[in-house]
Amino acid sequence: MIEDRELDIWREQWSRIAGPSPRFQREIQQKIRRQNLRFLVGNVVTAIGFVGMLIFAVVLRRQASWLGAWWATGISALALVSAGYRFWILRGTWHPETQSTRAFLELWHRRVQARLRLLEISVYVSLGWIVFCAVLTAVNWRTIGRDVKAHPRDWLEVLVACLLMQPVLWFGAAWIRRRKLAELNEVKKALDELDQGLGTSVP
Amino acid sequence: MSESRRALEERFERILVAHAAAISRLAHSYEAVASIREELEQEIAMAIWKALPHFRGECSERTWVFRIAHNRGLTHVWSRRPPHQPLEDLEEADEPVDPRPHPEEQAAQTHQRARLMSAIQSLPVIHRQMIVLMLEGLSHAEMGEVLGISENNVAVRLTRAKKVLKDAMGVKP
Repeated sequence: MIEDRELDIWREQWSRIAGPSPRFQREIQQKIRRQNLRFLVGNVVTAIGFVGMLIFAVVLRRQASWLGAWWATGISALALVSAGYRFWILRGTWHPETQSTRAFLELWHRRVQARLRLLEISVYVSLGWIVFCAVLTAVNWRTIGRDVKAHPRDWLEVLVACLLMQPVLWFGAAWIRRRKLAELNEVKKALDELDQGLGTSVP
Repeated sequence: MSESRRALEERFERILVAHAAAISRLAHSYEAVASIREELEQEIAMAIWKALPHFRGECSERTWVFRIAHNRGLTHVWSRRPPHQPLEDLEEADEPVDPRPHPEEQAAQTHQRARLMSAIQSLPVIHRQMIVLMLEGLSHAEMGEVLGISENNVAVRLTRAKKVLKDAMGVKP
């Protein structure tokens, strides 16, 4: 019964580990208040942003040229499709922490895979956006061309900004993808560990 | 404040009072640095608060709290990945020696406790969970509910986990 004695000693040592600090409860209450405020502010900002975008699109459709109307429609459609896709792809992966470890890991696995898919789609969307803008410019070249000749410096700045933005976006996406792949490997490893019960060294 | 909100807050406070010590011990198994451990304890408490409105008593409250705490611990381990503190380097960094009589004995106990904790922290994460749940006195059925595996599997894996812990503690068979 040596093992039981060890177990008793371990339990006794374990039970003597110091509890949380006396200010624990108070800090939690403060955090809850801050979180409620953040939630409220976040919702208000999102609502204002969405309504603002809609108003902007409507105003642009009424006032601006054919080009402006298409641009506003494109932005609105892109925002709606992105939001819808994001909602669809992340469905069923909310509140995973109350599940068992296995269910939590499986959900985590799904969530990381969903984010990777979302990232790939975002890259395709950004490419699609470039094509959309190029087509729009080509179709409206008669109008745009005149403006380019009139203000060549402004248009050059816009072009340079667009060209610089793309590599930054793609490098960012590649960096996030690397991190997500590493996370995916860790979750797979933990799932294997749970299935085999053999244990691999996870720091 | 609405009645339901007040009831929720009271329930949350009761859960914290009942399980704060266990949450703190569990956080020790996932984080060696005291200041970061405190943050982890708070994160666990916040996760409990967020999940509380959805808790319908599908499992015992203790099992539910341990599920949340362990899952939050898992996330913490993978987001932080600290270098593990070797046993030889371990001193009682954040546990002052009790100044009451028999200070040598107190110091030895503190050191033993720190050795146990460091050994647990060095275990693979699933083994770590098994050992912590065992030390907290959960039954095999409850451990199965937390981990999402059958009772038989719990028994097999617990034996393995104990062996790994003994190896880590340098206990000869």
